[in-house]
Amino acid sequence: MLDPKIVAELESVVGEQFVLTTPEDLIAYSYDATFTSAKPDLIVLPANTQQVSEVLKVANREIIPVVTRGMGSGLAAGSIPFGGGIVLALTRMDRLLEIDRDNMMATAEAGIIASELADAVAREGYLYPPDPTSDSYSTLGGNIACNAGGARCLKYGITGHYVMALEVVLADGRIMRLGGKATKNVTGYDLVHLIVGSEGTLAVVTEATVRFIAAPETERMAQAFFPKLVDAGRAINAVLASGANPSMIEIMDETAIRSVEEFLHMGLPLDIEAILLIQTDGDEADATRGIEIAAEICRQNGATEVQVAATPQERKDMWLARGSISGSLGRIRPNKLGEDVTVPHSAIPEMIARIKDISAKHDLPIVIFGHAGDGNLHPNILFDKRDPEESHRVEAAVGDLFRASVEMGGSLSGEHGVGVLKKPYLELALGPIAVEMQKRIKQAWDPNNILNPGKIFD
Amino acid sequence: MSSNSVKTSDRTVSQVAEELYLKCIRCGKCLSVCPVYRETRIETMSPRGKVALYRAIGEADLEISEIYANKFYTCLMCEACREVCPSGVELDVILSRSRADLAHSGLLPLLLQQLSTVIVNAGNISDEDNVQRLGWTENMASRPVGLDYSGQVEMTYFVGCVSSLFPASYRIPQSLVGILEKAGVNYALLGGEERCCGYPLLLNGESERALEMARHNVEAVRATGAPQVVMSCPSCYHMWTHTYPEMLGDDALAGIDILHETEMLAELARAGRLRFKPWPATVTYHDSCDLGRKSGIFEAPREVLRAIPELELVEMADHHGHSLCCGGGGNLETYNRELAQALPARRLRQAQDAGASTIVVSCQQCKRTLAGAARREKMRIRVTDLAEVVAEQLEEPHA
Ligand SMILES: Cc1cc2nc3c(=O)[nH]c(=O)nc-3n(C[C@H](O)[C@H](O)[C@H](O)COP(=O)(O)OP(=O)(O)OC[C@H]3O[C@@H](n4cnc5c(N)ncnc54)[C@H](O)[C@@H]3O)c2cc1C
Repeated sequence: MLDPKIVAELESVVGEQFVLTTPEDLIAYSYDATFTSAKPDLIVLPANTQQVSEVLKVANREIIPVVTRGMGSGLAAGSIPFGGGIVLALTRMDRLLEIDRDNMMATAEAGIIASELADAVAREGYLYPPDPTSDSYSTLGGNIACNAGGARCLKYGITGHYVMALEVVLADGRIMRLGGKATKNVTGYDLVHLIVGSEGTLAVVTEATVRFIAAPETERMAQAFFPKLVDAGRAINAVLASGANPSMIEIMDETAIRSVEEFLHMGLPLDIEAILLIQTDGDEADATRGIEIAAEICRQNGATEVQVAATPQERKDMWLARGSISGSLGRIRPNKLGEDVTVPHSAIPEMIARIKDISAKHDLPIVIFGHAGDGNLHPNILFDKRDPEESHRVEAAVGDLFRASVEMGGSLSGEHGVGVLKKPYLELALGPIAVEMQKRIKQAWDPNNILNPGKIFD
Repeated sequence: MSSNSVKTSDRTVSQVAEELYLKCIRCGKCLSVCPVYRETRIETMSPRGKVALYRAIGEADLEISEIYANKFYTCLMCEACREVCPSGVELDVILSRSRADLAHSGLLPLLLQQLSTVIVNAGNISDEDNVQRLGWTENMASRPVGLDYSGQVEMTYFVGCVSSLFPASYRIPQSLVGILEKAGVNYALLGGEERCCGYPLLLNGESERALEMARHNVEAVRATGAPQVVMSCPSCYHMWTHTYPEMLGDDALAGIDILHETEMLAELARAGRLRFKPWPATVTYHDSCDLGRKSGIFEAPREVLRAIPELELVEMADHHGHSLCCGGGGNLETYNRELAQALPARRLRQAQDAGASTIVVSCQQCKRTLAGAARREKMRIRVTDLAEVVAEQLEEPHA
């Protein structure tokens, strides 16, 4: 429990009704989309940057942990207040501030729902490419803090590639602006991109300017059914190496297919091991030619059927299945540990095979789906947290997964971040010197270690 | 099936069922469609938050209280969350069971207790003498035929509280009886014999009280001898088609065919009994929660609109099963008027974004909330009920 005087001080900053302290509120802000949870001492919902600054001044003076939270869709337990303290939820700061057509950039407060920003840009006829599957239930700030990716990132890159400028509040409450609208800027260190992906440990992002691009004229989508998962893996590589230039290649394995089919009843075949979902874009000719090349390659690599969507609605339906996998897995087991290891293209087929071996070895269902085209597989281990023996096997399997990825030149996390769940493996991936250098950065930015303490590393 | 009966202080919360909450993997997708969350942006008010609270009761980490009640009654019961949940969490069950537990534990909020008392005593939601239900007939050019029905009646028209008692909604029943008469349907009105369908009581969590209403209404409808009953209120319709059979048993309704206004209009149009004048307008249709998502009626109203020459029907961003609640559901308007009134503007903007100049509803509650918001926000968009549209567009019958 925080000293009532401090609570009163926080209330005077944001208003009494925006400091939440009831047992109900503490429960509601104790989790993200992982299976872990821990309650904060209280929740503060600031309305603007100035209030964020005032809150941090108090927290820094009193050395109270501050865990910044967007919409709690994170998959690394990054916004969970394991050490108690203040959850600083930015959801009320959700204004779209500007769409600058001349510079092709949009500016918004950090708490805006990511898809609302993308929709606003789309209404102007442009494209903001980052498209995490969770974009309608995650914030721009959360996307920046985790450097979120998405299906389209295969062709267009991840959130960080679009962030031009940030307003951040430092641990001591000072407000700082980073970057700008100039497209080239090498004046000093690139602090914008130090903050991108920093998971709330270096500063609180309060506002961001992101760039957008001309929208492609059209898109084409196809889904290919593979009786053998390994064939699907090989087809991914072949499509990437062809001139098809896909904007996304997504994979769903057998279990994923079954799980979404149970939710959506779309008539997906249940006797195959994998579906690849491929999208191309550009002008009519390019998009069509690309999808035809990809379809042909899938057939050559063992796909028994390839369906090309004829209408935008059919495209939406195809994507709906893929977009619903993660959430639908609760139908199979009560808990899931969703990893997002990412390997170089060339290693995709082998990584798929290794995941299946690990699943068999530890006797745990591991579902594979995700942004396969960029090597970002989402092996999701399904389990029941209440069974301690099973939870043990999960830990062992995770270790194996990470080792396999690192051995093949891959990363622990392609897009979800380290949070606490991948913390034990950080050194395995980065080596001791890189971890040490990161800790020094943290120390310089947040000497009292109040910003999301215990995340990424101790 | 495993369920823990949890004892919290002197109150017993029945049946917090593990299998209801374990499926929630907390992805957060429900936040994207919850009108209350989208307005408040507070997790405790969100569907995922409510599941977590429900779970905490089951795991003895929380006791039910006034605060708990506040969270569960701050909800439209629109079920958009259930509709999108990839994991199949039965939020409708969690939400309604929680309200029932709260009501049984004496934690029904005061404003809702008052609503309940009014309904039970007066037989309607607005504490009028129940004979006032015929107020809507008073300024009509001619007395509705259905008041003096005799002989073999084809259909009973169950008007519903809002249409009967709120002057701003009078045009809906007036239009509907006009259509019935033009189409030559022999129909009956119940007048003061009609009572609240019981839906607001059920939403409160008071199913026993709703049951009383159900018994009375079924008897009153049976008394007309008509094989069909039509309702212009989706909530009445949902109550009659879903809850009455559960409460009274399927047999209780045997031989009574229950129709919503939209189905009846679609049938009449199909049978060639309605002929429309052209209406050159861009129109969108708003699916109400009780008729659309909860009862699965999406096409009938659209079919009627499409039958009107020169009318262009466009869809809003959220439509059919994913329709956005107008803010009029869940008794929220009674419990937290300020919040409820903040919700419809988003829906009206969706209609404008779709390019529509008129938003057609088939629910007098939706009409009331959306039209109210249009007025408050000074938005230039017309809100009208399908029955009104049909009545206006009808050609005079050929002699
Ligand atoms: C079903 C599902 C699908 C998903 N799909 C994808 C996907 O395709 N691609 C992808 O990359 N991720 C995906 N995610 C993961 C998650 O949605 C992203 O990591 C997202 O960016 C988190 O945003 P949030 O607003 O929910 O942040 P939270 O979960 O609230 O927080 C995440 C982290 O960001 C920090 N943070 C949040 N806001 C700020 C801020 N303003 N300033 C500083 N730090 C902040 C928090 O402290 C925490 O460390 C998915 C999640 C789910 C449940």
